[in-house]
Amino acid sequence: MPSTTDFAVKPIDYVGLNPRLLVGEGDNVTAGTKLFVDKNNPDARFASPVDGMVKAIVRGEKRALLAVVVERTDDAAQQPLCSPERLAAMNRDEMVDTMVEHGLWTLLRQRPFGIIPQRDSHPKAVFVSAFDSSPLPVDYAFILDNDDFQKGIDILASVGAKVHLGLSAKNDNAFLENIKNAEIHHFDGPHPAGLTGTHIAFVDPINKGETVWTVNAQDVATIGHFFRTGLYKPERTVAFCGTLVEKPQYYRTTAGASISALAAMVKPQNGHAPRFISGDVLSGLSIAADGFMSAQCDKISVLPEGDYYDFMGWLRPNFRKFSFSRTFLSGFLSKFKSKNSKFTFDTGRHGDHRPLFVTGEFEKLVPLNIYPMQLIKACIVGDIELMEELGIYEVEPEDLALCEFADTSKTEIQAIVRNALEKIRKED
Amino acid sequence: MKLRDFIDKIKPDFSKGGRFEKLSSTFEAFESFAFTPNTVTGGKVAPSYRGSHIRDAVDLKRTIITVVIALLPALLFGMWNIGHQTASFYNLDWGFWHQFWFGFLRMLPIIVVSYVVGLFIEFLFAEIRHEQVSEGFIGTGIIISLIVPVTVPLWQLAIAVAFAVIIGKEVFGGSGYNFLNPALVARAFLFFSYPSHMSGDSVWIAQPFHFTGDAISGATPLALLSGNSLSSFSSSFSSSSSFSLLDMFIGTIPGSIGETSVIAILLGALILLFTGVASWRIMLSVVIGGGLMGLLFNAIGANEYMQLPFYYHYLMGGFAFGCVFMATDPVTAAQTNTGKWIYGFLIGAFAVLLRVLNPAYPEGMMLAILLMNCFAPLIDHCVVASNRNRRKKRWATAERRIA
Repeated sequence: MPSTTDFAVKPIDYVGLNPRLLVGEGDNVTAGTKLFVDKNNPDARFASPVDGMVKAIVRGEKRALLAVVVERTDDAAQQPLCSPERLAAMNRDEMVDTMVEHGLWTLLRQRPFGIIPQRDSHPKAVFVSAFDSSPLPVDYAFILDNDDFQKGIDILASVGAKVHLGLSAKNDNAFLENIKNAEIHHFDGPHPAGLTGTHIAFVDPINKGETVWTVNAQDVATIGHFFRTGLYKPERTVAFCGTLVEKPQYYRTTAGASISALAAMVKPQNGHAPRFISGDVLSGLSIAADGFMSAQCDKISVLPEGDYYDFMGWLRPNFRKFSFSRTFLSGFLSKFKSKNSKFTFDTGRHGDHRPLFVTGEFEKLVPLNIYPMQLIKACIVGDIELMEELGIYEVEPEDLALCEFADTSKTEIQAIVRNALEKIRKED
Repeated sequence: MKLRDFIDKIKPDFSKGGRFEKLSSTFEAFESFAFTPNTVTGGKVAPSYRGSHIRDAVDLKRTIITVVIALLPALLFGMWNIGHQTASFYNLDWGFWHQFWFGFLRMLPIIVVSYVVGLFIEFLFAEIRHEQVSEGFIGTGIIISLIVPVTVPLWQLAIAVAFAVIIGKEVFGGSGYNFLNPALVARAFLFFSYPSHMSGDSVWIAQPFHFTGDAISGATPLALLSGNSLSSFSSSFSSSSSFSLLDMFIGTIPGSIGETSVIAILLGALILLFTGVASWRIMLSVVIGGGLMGLLFNAIGANEYMQLPFYYHYLMGGFAFGCVFMATDPVTAAQTNTGKWIYGFLIGAFAVLLRVLNPAYPEGMMLAILLMNCFAPLIDHCVVASNRNRRKKRWATAERRIA
């Protein structure tokens, strides 16, 4: 990674957070020092990813906390927060306490709702996906540290529940195939085959009242590293990729790193500014050129903004635009061309918002046993009982990201699903 | 680009606070007609937008224009057939282009009235609601002009279109919220309000412009078969003056403008299926439903109409047109895949049932589709209910396991 000294922890990366700040600007912190906690869930304590000094507390409208920025001051060797011997001798409750204390607990996600679980949460299973099927996928076999990952799986199996590891059917990595303490499942096919939502639906679907944990594969390694060495070292390998990246490659860095140095390498294309996305282009978070990687980020995708007018765009045959529908010659011809024919993507919405009109386009894109159109409509209406019975607990917004992409009526489906989940969570 | 500069120059006048603020929806409709908007995902400025940053190139305008393109073969054939029918009934020696030109001149006012009335109301409602003008009527307008006879009085057409757009669509919230196919609402309005002009048992042949005598009506195949003409049934299909199977397939028969030619409609069906705009499930199940009902009547064979070979139903009246262009309207059809099979099957079955058993309504297709439009939500409800019940059962099993 082009060297960066600034790292941030951002409440926006988490669902439904109400942060209480624990540090002030200028405070010295070490990796693992608590920066803020969630008022609603005191077990969600967010730790500094590096040793350094709090450089800035960024606030937005109504003084909402946007980010705590920590500047790495020196590269002196990190001190263990806990001795490896002590960690090795811990029982489950002690492990939980340690994870909560040092911010590792915030790496867990609980479904339904995609929130950080409570300390007394007893999931029925833990799902980890080492299969990235999203656009511009990363290769987890390449980026994961073997020992850390295995140790992380062991810890999750003792702290949580049975661990299910989802792999690509095409995976040929011997290490991942031979992971212990986890049941391995293979999934084949296009996106969303690699999402944990898909894995859960096929392996052990969530029933009302049940919870499941999901953990990002790199976060599993972070947990493993801590329990092996006593060091909180959230290292991540991220792919820097997308239409505007001349030389796509992996960079090794630390969670929450500033992307300024990377962004400086990107030039606007034909006058269209770049958009930086922390995560994949289907469900990632857009960040400013001087912004920070978000939690669980495996890649930074860069697209040109599509802020141009398209003369008679609705009428022209168009050979270069991508569409799942065959109403464009491009979509039509792609049936005869190789699967890898290339399209240039930008952030253009390609049309105006309309009521949900066309039917049958979502069903092809959702492998779950749900009726996506009916579920989305129930979410819009806000009928909780209907949503429950239609399977709202089985989805996170990302599971319906492809529907949002393909939708003729340009509805913001992921935001609708998130709002509906939040409505249900707050009713409880 | 000059046009773009011009639009950008006048845009402030139509924006909030501008001189023509009240016409903002109208302006927006024309602007987005000329240019696909430059909107980006997550809004103009998109800091911290979470969602899909890329979008499929398709939008509703694209979908609707595909339907319009699919309607063109039926439209062009219909224009020619207007002239062709007039020429044969008045024994005029018109060439191909003369026939087409005559049909074009007769067709033009119908299309213009349909679009002007429909779009005016659409624009009006959009301005009142401060919404964007939906493109739904671009398709509806042309469908309406294809399912009326060429002799429809324009004032009746205007009232029917207004009724269809206001009562059939706008009162429910506009395109996408209606539960009845607006084009069929217009047709049904004409059918029930002006039965003497539109009873369906005979369809007028356009008069040549110089002709001053009484209008001549040519019976459609359906009319020949319905109650009052049953006696002439056996002779009607063999006599040279009436219609052969091939005539009905090609469409050189009297009838509503766009629905006579099965070939032209099949061409449209190919476009709709190839582009994936219309549901093949619905089209196929309408055909199956109609065919099976026809075969059932063949088996009963109580009268001559029942003995009519089942495939005649595909060629007569609005069956083919309704099956391809109206049963498949996604807004008013069933929305689940299973539901589409049931919905289509029942449309086909009811259309033939109505035709054969109720000669007072020779055009069963229109009523069958409208009827199933009403039942589509119920069909979907039942289909989805099975999914909901399965899920609830799974919850119950899980609870028992825990207990």
